[in-house]
Amino acid sequence: MVNVGKPIKGMNNDRLVAGGGSFVADVQPRGVATMVVLRSPHPNARIKSIDTSQAQAVEGVIYVLTPSEIRENTNPIPEAINTRALGAQYAPWYALCVERARYVGEAVAAVLAEDEATALAARDLIEVDYELLPVVPNAEVALAEGAPLVEPGWTDNVLIRQKLVTGDPEQALRDAAGTVSGRIKSARIQASPIETRGVVASWDQHRKRLTCWSSTQAPHVLRTYLAEAMRLSENDVRVIQPDVGGAFGIKCPTTQEEVLTSYMAKRTQRTVRWIEDRQEHLLAAGHARDVEAEYTAAFSSDGAITSLQMRMVADVGAPIALAGWGMAYVTWLCVPGPYKIANLETELIAVVTNKSPWQAYRGYGKDTASFFLDRVIEHVAKEAGLPSSVVRHRNFIPSNEFPFMQPTGAILDSGNYAGTLDQLLEKLDFEGFAARKAEARRQGKYIGIGLGQELTPEGFCMPGSLYAGYEASTVRVTPGGDVSVLTGVTSPGTGNETGIAQIVADALGCSLNRIRVTQGDTDSCPMGSGNYSSRSLMLGGSAAHLAALEIRKQMTTVAASMLGVSADTVSIIEDVFSSTEAPEARVTFSEVVQQVYLFPHGKHMDNTDPGLDTTKSFKIGNVYHQPEVDGKFNGYPTWSNASSGAIVEVDPETGVVKVEKFVLIHDCGPIVNPLLAEAQLQGAITQGIGSTLYEFVAYDDEAQPITRSFMDYTMVTSQEAVDIEVGHQNTPSPFTPLGTKGVGESGVGSPPGAITAAIEDALSDLDVRLTELPVTPSRLWTAIQAAKTNVMAEVAQVPEKEMV
Amino acid sequence: MSTFEIDTTINGRPVRHSVDARKTLAVMLRDDFQLTGTHIGCKTGNCGACTVELDGATVKSCCVMAAESDGSEVTTIEQLSQGGELHPMQEAFSHNQALQCGFCTPGMIMSACALLKTKSEPTEEEIRLGLKGNLCRCTGYDKIIKAVQQASKDAPSGNPDVTSAAPLEATALNG
Ligand code: FES
Ligand code: FES
Repeated sequence: MVNVGKPIKGMNNDRLVAGGGSFVADVQPRGVATMVVLRSPHPNARIKSIDTSQAQAVEGVIYVLTPSEIRENTNPIPEAINTRALGAQYAPWYALCVERARYVGEAVAAVLAEDEATALAARDLIEVDYELLPVVPNAEVALAEGAPLVEPGWTDNVLIRQKLVTGDPEQALRDAAGTVSGRIKSARIQASPIETRGVVASWDQHRKRLTCWSSTQAPHVLRTYLAEAMRLSENDVRVIQPDVGGAFGIKCPTTQEEVLTSYMAKRTQRTVRWIEDRQEHLLAAGHARDVEAEYTAAFSSDGAITSLQMRMVADVGAPIALAGWGMAYVTWLCVPGPYKIANLETELIAVVTNKSPWQAYRGYGKDTASFFLDRVIEHVAKEAGLPSSVVRHRNFIPSNEFPFMQPTGAILDSGNYAGTLDQLLEKLDFEGFAARKAEARRQGKYIGIGLGQELTPEGFCMPGSLYAGYEASTVRVTPGGDVSVLTGVTSPGTGNETGIAQIVADALGCSLNRIRVTQGDTDSCPMGSGNYSSRSLMLGGSAAHLAALEIRKQMTTVAASMLGVSADTVSIIEDVFSSTEAPEARVTFSEVVQQVYLFPHGKHMDNTDPGLDTTKSFKIGNVYHQPEVDGKFNGYPTWSNASSGAIVEVDPETGVVKVEKFVLIHDCGPIVNPLLAEAQLQGAITQGIGSTLYEFVAYDDEAQPITRSFMDYTMVTSQEAVDIEVGHQNTPSPFTPLGTKGVGESGVGSPPGAITAAIEDALSDLDVRLTELPVTPSRLWTAIQAAKTNVMAEVAQVPEKEMV
Repeated sequence: MSTFEIDTTINGRPVRHSVDARKTLAVMLRDDFQLTGTHIGCKTGNCGACTVELDGATVKSCCVMAAESDGSEVTTIEQLSQGGELHPMQEAFSHNQALQCGFCTPGMIMSACALLKTKSEPTEEEIRLGLKGNLCRCTGYDKIIKAVQQASKDAPSGNPDVTSAAPLEATALNG
């Protein structure tokens, strides 16, 4: 392979560094008007009436949109995941909240004005008469006897409940050498790309057609769902994805604002722009995680975990049509992850509350499963008196047992978990760390080391949804010899267009600079589900690979005729066809292309179809969608995995943690572009470190959000950025043409486990146990004080004479 | 709507402009002059995507009113690459893959250039400090730091001076 496997920089880099990106806020058609959204200040309130007269009277205001109009003229936003098909409860969700606002930030009304300042001023003049309703601020209240209902029509506040029992966990507990139990919690966090969401919509009154530019991940999915919500045909909707300034899941369609902006454009016959501000993003774009688990694990003296019981309660916020709540399901699906545990009892209770709803975020629930399992492993290791690496090794699914079916129905395609862990231990000099730690302690420094393990299934194929998981790509060679590749997948900053170009160049045998990749326009690109679940290269790249191979076959037939040889002797490298039959003869890529286009009726074209334009769809193996069989299905075709290690220094006086080093040994099969893969992993690990130490979205006891700006939502800056080392192992997937697996979500799942373990190791004399994220200085300081008190208490119990 | 008459030099070219008093410098640059390389990520001075140079010092242009630029010189990311030639800092970012989505990148590059003006060969710690007002959610900063290090080495005499570049073509501005 000439290009695949090479560290080639992103094709869009030069444009983006020059400030030449065209993000949605840069789409500025003439006469564009600005829309702003009025959002509920209350977590649960009935809207008694709305008076827009004053707002409407402001000069420069074009239109004020209220819930009744939306209720009358649009359909509920289609669900990304069909709740009822999975046995979950359903709540209709419109572009504006109908009757009740169920979280602070839910859209109540929208104002369109000639400019933003006017729209904002008018928004302040809308008078809403709210009747405040009892609030469900968290999962505990939601599940309590007689709790108020977030959705009055529901039987309770549980969106979905999943339960699984295999083997006999109770018996295993009785037979065990030891057991551990505990409670752990992940924090409510958010994807927070630096570019917020945004939509520009325009209505062509002559063609009766909507064009919607959205900072979205999935233009085709958005087209279908937008058409459904707007009561239009899909033919009448064109969605264009401009450059996207980061997404990480939070820009998966379909949002209230996409429908609102589009509706406003159609209603007023104006081009409408809505650009979210940061506060809106934090309040309304959606959150993730916030899951609490209770566990009991039984183990034998060699560290084998004989049973695991885990009950997980997820606070998914108010119910909406976005795919966020599916993350809770995936967390449940990914227990017990890379481990083989015979007796298992897992339960998921996804609970609705009056917090902002969940929306997808990188990791999509696998992160939380990794964190929970890492905590359990550490607990078992501590109790069994074994290093956690030994406990992990003891419980990994052996590499010769793949494909391996977990009791949840998940089928893990391939893996060598012991391999990544061994490579990690060597890279970290794990053995030698004890001496380093002792030396540091002599100098008064508290350093520690910890391990994490993640299993990151990719390419989610959801039954009964447009995220069902096949993908299409077109490869087209123009008469001038340019190659254009059009894909259904998109690249919101991931660089997959570059990887896809590399794959196509190799499959065609042409030079890379002939290729241009076009993504994100429903009028020109083949149908596909866009970018999510690290599927773009794996599925879109595979489809492009198949299409390019077909073009190559066509061109090889023509070249063989031109060379006067048989086709099976012909090969092409870097734009030149040659044959083993006539070693001196050559014909170039361009010459063959010209034959095809200029002499379609000529003799060289006798044995092939005219034109060089092919679209191929790729459906991946290892997915089955029969939820009716045992209620189980496998939506994940490939399972990337990684072992990671953190070295930290803790200041016990302040609780401040510094991550000195982070190493991740990753396995996603063969790598198409090592530079871009490493870049993705560094970014993901940094997000994982943020979720471990700094990031959380806070609410008070009345479900009022406290986190409203980047002052409160503290992400990693260049100051806290960590020295990250990434290594690879290559265990190909048997289910993709090139053996590739996804890479985009790996790296976020294991930092919490590795870093918390490292902190505990640094404070090993104190026996601190960390159970909740993020490990902020105040939380750690409190844990240290509590541990010190325990030590004091123990010391106090020692008879006085033994103390001297 | 009240307006201010301002005389400002934008990317080397003097402009007289009547600006909405409610507009920030970031919005004016983007909406009135189509200089959309200056991005807006927060409007609260935290993310740095809107970083530009105002009279030789970097500012977060979301926190400066447009009218305040009266009598000043403003330099944006567009000024760095003239005639299609990338500035050495832009070159270093591109080469080192110091970007993914590219949304933070213009602001990051403006801050990096400003850093090298005050310190031609900064240490890693100084680079981290110099860029801490610019958030990036994609990269983890490692490759950004490498890019700045490379740019500082490639121009050992230092000072890749942002403002000394030739004036922007008049057609690029519509003000
Ligand atoms: S937009 Fe100015 S600092 Fe974020
Ligand atoms: S490259 Fe995306 S925010 Fe920095």
